[in-house]
Amino acid sequence: MPTQPGTSGADARSADYKAIGGKLLRVRMTVTEDRPSLIQTIRITGDFFMHPEEAIEDLEQLLTGAPLDEVALHARVQTFFDGDVQVVGADVDDVVAALLKAA
Amino acid sequence: MAKQEWRLLLTGDMSAFDNMALDEAVLRCVVAGTSPSTLRFYGWEPSAVSIGYFQGVEQEVDLDVCREKGVDVIRRLTGGGAVFHEHGSEITYSLAVKDDYPGIPKKVLDSYTLLCGGLVAGFRRLGLDAEFKPINDILVNGKKISGNAQTRRFGGILQHGTLLCDVNPHLMFSLLKVPNEKIRDKLIAGVEERVTSIRREIGTVDNDAVIAAMCAGFAEVLDIRLSLGTVSDEELALLTRVKEERYANPTWNFRR
Repeated sequence: MPTQPGTSGADARSADYKAIGGKLLRVRMTVTEDRPSLIQTIRITGDFFMHPEEAIEDLEQLLTGAPLDEVALHARVQTFFDGDVQVVGADVDDVVAALLKAA
Repeated sequence: MAKQEWRLLLTGDMSAFDNMALDEAVLRCVVAGTSPSTLRFYGWEPSAVSIGYFQGVEQEVDLDVCREKGVDVIRRLTGGGAVFHEHGSEITYSLAVKDDYPGIPKKVLDSYTLLCGGLVAGFRRLGLDAEFKPINDILVNGKKISGNAQTRRFGGILQHGTLLCDVNPHLMFSLLKVPNEKIRDKLIAGVEERVTSIRREIGTVDNDAVIAAMCAGFAEVLDIRLSLGTVSDEELALLTRVKEERYANPTWNFRR
């Protein structure tokens, strides 16, 4: 049965990923049944640091709707890190690795 | 040039909600220019678990056990990990300064190095071989004795952290969630191996001596003079406000 992209049944995924810098990134998300799957909702938690702290919501927003594809995810996370934000304890590759581990 | 004079606050034991609200109130007043740059030392009563800004409270904390044992749970303004603040077993400090204060690096990691340097100098005054371990830890004889966390907001820098006087990993891991029960004993053993305390290193804990050493350490690395002061009325009013809005508010503590 055909489904509309982004509205198909959500599938819950989660993973914990230890960043090279030593901090833990915990990803919980729901993904669509599209090919490739799209991130429908996402929550990133953990013991890392981000300045300003509220930027975590921008990152989650930026990843919502993203295809679960390494290149696409890397581009979005890189865009976020290139902005006016300092992330301490995890880098772009760590965040992408955490997302892919959850995928 | 005359040394900058900072205010020293010794506020004793307070609840987690008052402690975190006072840290924010002081930061806001320092930024507004109504309070001087401030170094504060405090304790926790009752004991509490604080979690980092980005942590999920239910992911990290066993809320039922905390309730049973009368341990408060609070989300910090700062990132980092979950910390068990046991009444009587920890001296906590906080430091609030404007973000354009001369000599404080704009890069967060560099500023940890500088500010934690005050604590390293303090531990050395206590005769301990302390070193800063990036990102945010201080080690003595290779074991963690202090964890630190920083936020930059409202135009200021707030850094707070723990000075471990005693370690109680059994109690700590009964309050924190662990992936499974089999791992709990391993985690406890890991803490006993990797974490130390002032009591373990020196044999005794004299809170006044520790605080005096840390004050001297900060005065040395920041080239400041500390002058004992009091919490202002404006700070007390702000404390009440941000405690209601944030720290004692489930919306804040359960937001992640």
